[in-house]
Amino acid sequence: MENNNKSLVADLALESPTEVASALAPPALDGHFDELRGRTSVKAPANLTGTQSQSQSQAQSAAFPSFQSQTQSQTQGRESNKPADPLSKPWTTFFNFLGNNGFHDLNRRTANLRRKIRDNGVTYNVYADANGPQRPWSLDLFPMILSPTDWAEIEVGITQRTRLLNRVMADVYGPQTLLSKGLLPAALVQGHPGYLRAMQGVKPAGGMFLHIAAFDLARGPDGRWWVVSQRTQAPSGLGYLLENRLTISLLFPEAFREMKVQRLAASYKALIDGMRALSPVADSRIVLLTPGPYNETYFEHAYLARYLGLSLVEGSDLLVRNERLYLKTLRGLEPVHGLLKRLDDEYLDPLELRADSTLGVPGLLQVIRAGNVQVANAPGSAFLESSALLGFLPALSRHLLGETLAMPSLATWWCGEQAVMQDMLPQLKNCVIKPTYPGSGMASVIGHTLSQRALDEWAGRIVRQGEDYTVQTYLPLSQTPTWQGEKIAPRSAMLRVFAVPDGAGSWQVLPGGLARLAGKNENIASMQHGGSSADVWALGGFEASSSAAPSVSASVEPATSGHHTEQPHAHQAALAHTAAFLNRKQPVTSRAAENLFWLGRYTERAENTLRLAQLTLQCLGGEDQSSQPLLAWLTAMAVGNSLVLDTVPPATHARRVFERSLIASLTNAEQPASVGFNLSAIKRAASAVRERLSQEQWHVIVRTEADFFSRCEAFEAEGQLAAHALEYSPVEALRALEAASSFLAAMTGAQTDRMMRDDGWRLLSIGRNIERLSMLSDALVKGFQAGAVCDEGGFSAMVALFDSTITFHAQYHQRRDIPALLDLLVLDRDNPRSLSWVIHTLKNRLTKLATSTSSDLTDLAADLPDPARWLLTGRSTLLPASGADSDYTDLVAQLENCQASALELSDHISRRYFSHATSANHSLVT
Amino acid sequence: MLLHVVHVTRYQYTPWVESAHHVVHLKPASKPGQTLLRHSLDISPTPAQRREVVDGYGNSRSYFSLQTSHDVLRVMADSVVSTSSVLQGRDQAEGSAMTALLRSPWERVRDQFRYRAGAAYNAAWEFLFASPYVPRDDAFVQFARPSFAPGRPLPEAAHDLMARIHSTMTYESNSTEVSTPALVALKQGKGVCQDFAHIMVACCRAMGLPARYVSGYMLTQPAPGQPRLIGCDASHAWASVYCPAPQGNNGAGTGQWLDFDPTNNRAPGEDYVTLATGRDFLDVSPLRGVIRGGSQHILDVAVTVTPIESLASLESVESVD
Repeated sequence: MENNNKSLVADLALESPTEVASALAPPALDGHFDELRGRTSVKAPANLTGTQSQSQSQAQSAAFPSFQSQTQSQTQGRESNKPADPLSKPWTTFFNFLGNNGFHDLNRRTANLRRKIRDNGVTYNVYADANGPQRPWSLDLFPMILSPTDWAEIEVGITQRTRLLNRVMADVYGPQTLLSKGLLPAALVQGHPGYLRAMQGVKPAGGMFLHIAAFDLARGPDGRWWVVSQRTQAPSGLGYLLENRLTISLLFPEAFREMKVQRLAASYKALIDGMRALSPVADSRIVLLTPGPYNETYFEHAYLARYLGLSLVEGSDLLVRNERLYLKTLRGLEPVHGLLKRLDDEYLDPLELRADSTLGVPGLLQVIRAGNVQVANAPGSAFLESSALLGFLPALSRHLLGETLAMPSLATWWCGEQAVMQDMLPQLKNCVIKPTYPGSGMASVIGHTLSQRALDEWAGRIVRQGEDYTVQTYLPLSQTPTWQGEKIAPRSAMLRVFAVPDGAGSWQVLPGGLARLAGKNENIASMQHGGSSADVWALGGFEASSSAAPSVSASVEPATSGHHTEQPHAHQAALAHTAAFLNRKQPVTSRAAENLFWLGRYTERAENTLRLAQLTLQCLGGEDQSSQPLLAWLTAMAVGNSLVLDTVPPATHARRVFERSLIASLTNAEQPASVGFNLSAIKRAASAVRERLSQEQWHVIVRTEADFFSRCEAFEAEGQLAAHALEYSPVEALRALEAASSFLAAMTGAQTDRMMRDDGWRLLSIGRNIERLSMLSDALVKGFQAGAVCDEGGFSAMVALFDSTITFHAQYHQRRDIPALLDLLVLDRDNPRSLSWVIHTLKNRLTKLATSTSSDLTDLAADLPDPARWLLTGRSTLLPASGADSDYTDLVAQLENCQASALELSDHISRRYFSHATSANHSLVT
Repeated sequence: MLLHVVHVTRYQYTPWVESAHHVVHLKPASKPGQTLLRHSLDISPTPAQRREVVDGYGNSRSYFSLQTSHDVLRVMADSVVSTSSVLQGRDQAEGSAMTALLRSPWERVRDQFRYRAGAAYNAAWEFLFASPYVPRDDAFVQFARPSFAPGRPLPEAAHDLMARIHSTMTYESNSTEVSTPALVALKQGKGVCQDFAHIMVACCRAMGLPARYVSGYMLTQPAPGQPRLIGCDASHAWASVYCPAPQGNNGAGTGQWLDFDPTNNRAPGEDYVTLATGRDFLDVSPLRGVIRGGSQHILDVAVTVTPIESLASLESVESVD
């Protein structure tokens, strides 16, 4: 592909970069605006002309000339005085900065981009369920570029629209004059499932119902921008677009710098500052409420929480007392004053909304009504999302704002109005039919793709149930250039932009956005249907209209810091710093604490089972394979740690069967403790605290699991293909285990070295050490019981299981006696796998945790056994008198006590810190 | 008529409930034909927080929360209500205009609730659309249609619909859950008063007519010669259909809600007590809650409706107790 690309470019080597680009880029489809060339290709298709509804409120088609006439005049005008196929001004600049050499580099940059997305774990969970594929986020190399004029138009239009929607919402939940004057049909308010009666009469601080509003825009063949739809309930995209920006700006640093692309960080800050400014208390705490890891855009929730410095919380992390909202943390309940919510309204409060919601907070609506928490956005905005509303907005704007709409909506007709419906029926072929209400499962239907029979069926549905359908003009989307490996291909684009508070009671438009690109030959841009995305560059430098939103201008950002001007990471760091300052120390929620604790336990458990499986396979094929005590011990350990089922004949009887069972069980997910199960459990626990883990750390966790499963699958498949391959499977299995071991080393390294040592981390560490104490003391018990420690092979295996082989050889050379073994594995305070070290560490962590959470854990720490004491002072009593060399009863009893203490400690920690995070809510109705 | 209503709800939980949030609709309405003379709501254990509000439909609604562990929740509403027959009073007050209205065809009401730009708003719009327990479905249109012959006056059509629900559906205790939506009950052909009311509401809405759900009580007569049994009554539910105000009022007037009890095939009278009205059961459920813990529970509801001579007589009885 790359060669191909080079030859193409080589042919054009003497021409300017823009000429190369033009030659590589076929024009946009007929009738679509060509972003690259800034004009519409050839001719527009026949479009809706001359229809006008009789309705007063929806009479908006009259206000806008049909696309056809406008397009033709524009196209003719531009064609008459321009040479063939020149590029638009921004794209000319872009390609000039890229330079002719840049074309050779595009595939390398694409590869970089893909790697970065994979490494950062940017995903979009398509089906939003636990088993659904986490599809990597799809991003195109080229940005979509908006000229200063384009941006000024969008800024003015969107600011006004957000103001309008906020006013509509205030009216609907307040005096309802729009309803009583007949400007808004009750079917679009009371008849819309998103209208929340529980919010009637609520006045949020500053009258601000909408803190974030997202608008989907399309550029028509006439070159103008049209609003297609709006999202207010929990709009997604703010995280993805930031990630897009950080990725793409680094790939085109020169163009990004010189073209004065407007920066984004200030708008994110304004969002949080805006909420803080309206907060009822001075030192307010804002959290980001997510539905959880199975949501399709969970990546974005975690990403935004990290970026904005907010705690990422689920409904179960919060509780309501006395009409106030609290966060359950390790230090107790902490008040919450602001919610940035990514949860759909109906799930917010099972007491008053959906009773079956397990994602919400019972009593939350009472807190909201009492004015004790601000919610971005206020619940009840979903009715604003109906396409049908677009038809009424012009009249609502005149009535509420006394203004006409600066940016038009795509002509839209709600068919619940008899006269309008009658007018629209003959026009369906030129339109798109959309559902008025959410939850119908109906996808938009493009009229001209339907047969006459299908059109008639749709007309029938509309006649029967008109209010369910909204009809919108079909607009051929503008096509923006994308890089497809060897050529530039135009793709239909829909632009999502976001309005956020400007801090002065109004809104600003985040100067950028998320462009969603349709697949080849498609005209619907949807991430769920396999489309791609592009970064959006809003160019600054246009004076006229920026006064409405002063903080968007590029100069706000410290844009010129030496030759490497664009430092997205610096922006991020700067903002994170501000946010961290404002939010002070992040509390550790009880749920995060519990997941960290289990992350610790599963990490250690995975390490232990990995090492045990490796050791077992090595011993079974090694030179001590006939040692009965060793085999008995390994069998006991493998069964005890669920590496094989207890129904499998012991290794002492059937070594090969045992070996094969062990290998077959490595990835058995139904065996709760198999190596595979533990690796998956690590991922599960980690995914619940993703906002606390670095991208690399998460990436290692994901790869560990994937790599192990794919290796095991590969050799299992081979084993089935050829019977003789079974002989080799221990080798393959060992290789898979070794690979997983190295991954795990990276994982534990990150845990030790790259995490903030707060209470959450302490619990992680406690979890790991509890698991270690339990496993190692159990290994010793079983070793003494099976007599393996008195056997040469067993002795070495025990030392190996404690990962202490090297140390042992260094310290004790070839000595193989029990006191030496106990010295290193039980007493040695410098060996991180000796029982003494583990217990000492646990005591330390418990003490610090107790101090920091002001809870009394003294007993817990004191109750832990102290091997140093029981062995040093009483060694003679624990070890058998010389000569009687097999009675280790006292020692075994002490070791068993160690194991019991580990489990007790775990129970106690759970009760003390996690109990309120675990028991579930449920609803009662009588 | 003076009616004394005692409504006791008791939940016993295993294991204990750690904390709970509840919302109740147990305070009878005061409205034409019904006056609330006395009311108390006793909750045990004592709530940590309690607040009474008036909801969007004018019902009294109480929120309370419990933050201490408990294995039993007991909520007792004790009310005395004075009732009278509404229709008589209305007829006298509004005379012939009302009579004329009651004869006007049902389509007039339907057409009034079709949106036209600038059309006058009416609060009854609220009760025209599908609601959680009353979904929209063709089955309701089909069931309702025979009652709605062209030109038939609305009260007559609604009365016929009520009679048909009564005769088609079998009343069977415990045949449905509180969460059973109207469609399921219609399809299985049996249910309790809640289902009968939901079906009636759904059928009216299916014809484009606003209709709402009423929860309350009715006085039952003990078997001849038997004493009134304490706690053997139950809460009741019926439907209410909107009939617009007389013409000349520009359709914007309050109109009138006519009550129909499809369970008993009669119009509710002074032996009925209205608790609350809403779009469906979910808006007015007597006791709703979200609890933490208490995964198993035993529910016991006891309602007693007793006619009394006077408030004074009630007090003397209580002092004897």
